[in-house]
Amino acid sequence: MRFVHQLRRLRFILAAALCLHGFGHMTAQDTSDAENHAGHVPVISGGVGYIHSVDGGVPTLEPQIIPVLLVPFGSHVLLESRTEFFGFFQRESLTYGPFTGKVLKNVDYAQIDWLANTHVMVTAGKYLLPFGLYNERLVPIWIRNLQDAPIDANIGILTSGAGDGIMLRGVAQQTPNYTLQYSAYFSARSSINQLQAARTAGGDASIYLTHPRLEIGTSYQRFLQDREVNNVAAYVSWQPATTSLDLKAEYDYTHTGNGYWLETAYRFDKLQIPLLLRRVQAVGRMQQFFALNGGGNALPRVNTQQFDFGLNYYFRDNFRLVSSYGRSFSSQQDANIWNVGATYRFTLPLWPERKK
Amino acid sequence: MKRYIVALSLLIVLLVGGMGAAALQQDSSSPRNDPKPSTTSKNNVQAEEVTGEEVFQANCSRCHLPPMSIPQRVTGTIIMHMRVRARLSRQDEQLLLKYMAP
Repeated sequence: MRFVHQLRRLRFILAAALCLHGFGHMTAQDTSDAENHAGHVPVISGGVGYIHSVDGGVPTLEPQIIPVLLVPFGSHVLLESRTEFFGFFQRESLTYGPFTGKVLKNVDYAQIDWLANTHVMVTAGKYLLPFGLYNERLVPIWIRNLQDAPIDANIGILTSGAGDGIMLRGVAQQTPNYTLQYSAYFSARSSINQLQAARTAGGDASIYLTHPRLEIGTSYQRFLQDREVNNVAAYVSWQPATTSLDLKAEYDYTHTGNGYWLETAYRFDKLQIPLLLRRVQAVGRMQQFFALNGGGNALPRVNTQQFDFGLNYYFRDNFRLVSSYGRSFSSQQDANIWNVGATYRFTLPLWPERKK
Repeated sequence: MKRYIVALSLLIVLLVGGMGAAALQQDSSSPRNDPKPSTTSKNNVQAEEVTGEEVFQANCSRCHLPPMSIPQRVTGTIIMHMRVRARLSRQDEQLLLKYMAP
């Protein structure tokens, strides 16, 4: 009996010591915040956009508002959520008649993050699946260079693009020459409204080479419900230091198909041309998709090739006009795809700044 | 036909990439006239000391165009969000805060 009491006391002392150690560590980290004037107030950020798209002769109007809510608790815990409100309007008979449609909403993610330290950040809730370059980084309309997602962007993100569960992520190692980053997650199956997710487990790892500014990464996912399948991606991202070139490429594989896309974007801002033209960005993308086992699962059922060419005009870093032309080729249909629109990113503080 | 499509697509991508590559070559062959002195001198031991601007260029500019117009009072929150999204280190976060909200 006495032994049990001693054991409990020991446990209590150990827990208290760990808490104090953690608190001390956090306070030690927080002292460096005094070196800047950054505020940690709740924020509504996000984007507004309007895209007029014509795909195979069928026009679609797509107004969108995508607010991102960020609520920090100190400098180590963050509650964040992104919700999409998007309209989808088409003509009654697709090519003629009045426009009809509806406004849809979707909670992309709603998660709480604990930024424990450089090596470990813990995310719980509904989070974006870290698969390839697209889902986590390039989905927001105010970031992507071309408004249409690559054909194989649905690989590795079934069923909703998000997972319900827990994710660990962070920097495994950082030196002046490279940074090694990782994510690992497990998602439970859910059919709850706005929390739909599939039972999956997976991870992503990438190495970023500092001097050439080159990132090479790979993602793996095991889809664990219904038919268990493996999904794999490999990607490269390169932004050389001396020019405004942005090159991204990705290869994706799943049971129902595999494909790749290669995208280059060049902004004219460093050319010796009139200021008006320096705000232009030219974008080119080519992609091929090869259907396997009949295709499907949000992927084409036949082999498809597509190229896109876009021109974007940046009035400011957060406001731009976007336009693109693409042509898709498949045994089912060859089609022209036009996109014209505008995107705007906003940031609104929700709280007066705290006095330090 | 397929070969033609692939070749055409590749041509578009290479055309845009080639413009960037040409500019890259032009930049490297002409003398640089940066307003700020370079912090990465090979002969200097301090060369490896990274600045917030370099962290921004290396990480944020992969998706966002500089300069970012973000009010100072929300910079801490935004960078917390981006630290999670972009898997940044604590050190990078601090350098970015100093750079974006000095």
